[in-house]
Amino acid sequence: MGDEYPTLFRSEGMSLIQLIVPREVAHDTIAELGELGDVQFKDLNPDVNPFQRSFVGEIRRIDEMARRVRYFTAQIEKEKDLIPIRPLYDSVPLVTVGPRAAQTIDELDTKLIEHESRLVRMNENYQVLSDRMKELVEARHVLRETAVFFDRAAGAEREIRTSFDDSSAPLLQHDDREAQFSGNAQFDLEFVAGTIERSRLPTFERVLWRVLRGNLYMNHTDIQEPFIDPQTGAETRKNVFIIFAHGDTLLAKIQKVAESMGATVYPIDSNADKRADSLREVTSRLEDLQVVLFNTGNTRRMELVTVGESLASWQDVVQKEKAIYETLNLLNYDVRRKTLIAEGWCPTRDITAIQVALRHATDESGTSVSPILRELPTKKTPPTFHRTNKFTEGFQTIMDSYGIASYQEVNPGLFAVITFPFLFAVMFGDVGHGLILFTAAIFMILRERQLAKADLGEIFGTFFFGRYIILLMGAFSVYTGLIYNDIFSKSLHLFRSGWDFPVAHSNETVVAVSNGHTYLFGLDPAWREAENQIIFTNSYKMKMSIVLGVIHMTFALCLQVPNHIRFNRRSDIWTNFVPSMLFLQCIFGYLVLCILYKWTVNWENATTVPPSLLNMLISMFLSPGTIDPDSQLYPGQGTVQVILLLIAMGCVPVLLIAKPYLQYQGMKKTQSQGYIGLHGDDTVGPPTDDQLEGEEEANGRVITEEDEDHEHHDFGEVVIHQIIHTIEFCLGCISHTASYLRLWALSLAHAQLSEVLWDMTIANVLGMSGIVGIVALVVIGVMWFTLTVFILCIMEGLSAFLHALRLHWVEANSKHYEAGGYQFVPLSFARLNEEAA
Amino acid sequence: MSTSLPTLLILAFVLGAMVVSWMSTPKGPNQTLIRTAVLLTLGVCYLMWTVTYLAQVHPLERK
Repeated sequence: MGDEYPTLFRSEGMSLIQLIVPREVAHDTIAELGELGDVQFKDLNPDVNPFQRSFVGEIRRIDEMARRVRYFTAQIEKEKDLIPIRPLYDSVPLVTVGPRAAQTIDELDTKLIEHESRLVRMNENYQVLSDRMKELVEARHVLRETAVFFDRAAGAEREIRTSFDDSSAPLLQHDDREAQFSGNAQFDLEFVAGTIERSRLPTFERVLWRVLRGNLYMNHTDIQEPFIDPQTGAETRKNVFIIFAHGDTLLAKIQKVAESMGATVYPIDSNADKRADSLREVTSRLEDLQVVLFNTGNTRRMELVTVGESLASWQDVVQKEKAIYETLNLLNYDVRRKTLIAEGWCPTRDITAIQVALRHATDESGTSVSPILRELPTKKTPPTFHRTNKFTEGFQTIMDSYGIASYQEVNPGLFAVITFPFLFAVMFGDVGHGLILFTAAIFMILRERQLAKADLGEIFGTFFFGRYIILLMGAFSVYTGLIYNDIFSKSLHLFRSGWDFPVAHSNETVVAVSNGHTYLFGLDPAWREAENQIIFTNSYKMKMSIVLGVIHMTFALCLQVPNHIRFNRRSDIWTNFVPSMLFLQCIFGYLVLCILYKWTVNWENATTVPPSLLNMLISMFLSPGTIDPDSQLYPGQGTVQVILLLIAMGCVPVLLIAKPYLQYQGMKKTQSQGYIGLHGDDTVGPPTDDQLEGEEEANGRVITEEDEDHEHHDFGEVVIHQIIHTIEFCLGCISHTASYLRLWALSLAHAQLSEVLWDMTIANVLGMSGIVGIVALVVIGVMWFTLTVFILCIMEGLSAFLHALRLHWVEANSKHYEAGGYQFVPLSFARLNEEAA
Repeated sequence: MSTSLPTLLILAFVLGAMVVSWMSTPKGPNQTLIRTAVLLTLGVCYLMWTVTYLAQVHPLERK
């Protein structure tokens, strides 16, 4: 086995290994195996509550660290200007294995706690300062607006008492007025001033009116700028109000109402001077606050920049550590002997690599005790592992989406590498569009390395993942485009055409004359100008779809045989494969042969009219044996068709009954030989290897071996399964063959769309001359190309992709694919990064 | 005089190419993949060309 390479044909051989790991070297061993990415660990403590597992404390600590890292990421994202996060491949790696590992993690923990507390404090300060600033801004507005009120009031007063000077007089006079003011009690109005939200204002007014029975004078103005809440970004609009009333009780009521309505009251002095002073004070405090806020913002930003330098490597370390401890939790921890026992699956080929890794881990950690690796024999089904490279990865993924192959089953992904792009191309055939796809794929492939590191987003990331699929799709589309002779809805005239057009006088329809040559490669370009082009291409493409479909299904059916051989059910070849194949070939294989034969006959020189193949097939079933001699395809057709029909009909009961019958016989044989079940179960049969092994070997057994659920040799179930399989297969043959006609339908739609696009855009513009013609050509040409890429390549491409995939999943896979396996998911740090990204 | 003979000639050629490619793929981890891919490609490309050629040898429709 050493010389043979693993292939994609079936899953690699997997073995169950047991590792006995001393406690000191456990963390480093798992870290090393995680870097290697080759072992899938089994959970040896399935009954244990996650909170009771051995390494819960470490996981909790790592979770806290992860939370802090997430907090930093969120804070960095919230910053308006972009803060650069140094990418992982550029950062200095933190060494988390070896003798200094625990110290490194402790240091990291303290550093994270420090950063977090600093950031939290800065955020709190910022919040407090912002609130203070908001209050001061409101106070400033109130001061300004009330100044306006008082001016107006003083102005009105002046009209009433013209002997007084107005309040904007210089200070000295103002003092005089102050003295006079206090002397006139009837004009000594007290007031409450403040701000309130605009939406609450009408309610406020109404409530005040009712409460004070109209004994108030209220004035209010809008504040133009809205207030923006820094946390949420919501805008609120406020108004300044000032309420004049007389008497302490009234003022007290106003205060209470204002409080209840959520208004903020500001202490304003009636003296204009004092108001001016307050305004100055407020403005200067506002300026100071802005400076402080700016500085706080800057310091916060500096802190985040420092964090951003190492954030990626912290994330990486935290992820890895969490994965390591979660894996350690899966192991069986023998506290007395201070060892952990691990069980897992790994590819048999890689066992030596794993042993090297284990030794490497021991060397790194500096201890002398090395983990021991042992291969365990087992009857359990291993996970399925197909070793893919960057080329085959895409194809394997799309086939795995249908279902993971059973262990050691034939892998349809290997063949899909060619059949999938080919079937796509049959539906997409156009040289120009194929070239567009091909160049797009080449572009992505040439810049693979850069694009792999960048974050591409979901849509483009999916296209990038399938770049090799797109490459092959484009290449095959160029080929089928040459066959269909379609390049952007025009034809190429590469070889000698098989038709000659006579000279046409005016607008009469001419009939071309066949000149005895067949166009060497693909469809004759003469068809492009013909009126009955579609009739011809329809017949051609439909028949081709049937031919390709039947051959694809036959191929898929043949893939059953390696499965039957590998899983030791050779009788299935005779009870399942041969009847199925005969059924398929007697009806549809015969149809394909008739199609090909009919094409090779020169019907001009034949004695009979070319028969319709569809009618022939239908009458084969409805009136077998009777062939109208005027429309027969070949002599002796009647007898041949009867024989084929009988074989096909005969296959159905064989398919239905043979396998259950053989099983029944097998059961009777063991029963008649007098064996009874040793373990009291109903299944009768020779003792299984599992049971024998349990009796012989006392040690070296797998720790968590449950009773493997044997295939119940329940006879009823086998019969039912076989009935379903037979019906599904026979009906499926007919419906799947018809389903392949989508190859025709989509290629027709594509060709027509392409032609319509050309006719509606460029065809109109080519006739124009002069500078107008050139400009129009350029403009329309750009439009034509954009529409080609978006509608014909992307939209039609996705559609053809989907249909080709369906053909593989339903029509082909149903012929052979069991898909009962589970995916091999090794502990791999590389994959963790992919999943997190 | 158009016949269907070229399809048989090309078939022989394609089968020969398949045998040659089977024997000449280098051993290595990708041997099965290359073999499968080359053989399938030759096969399907030949199929499609043959069907197209045959459909036009004795044309049933008149233009």
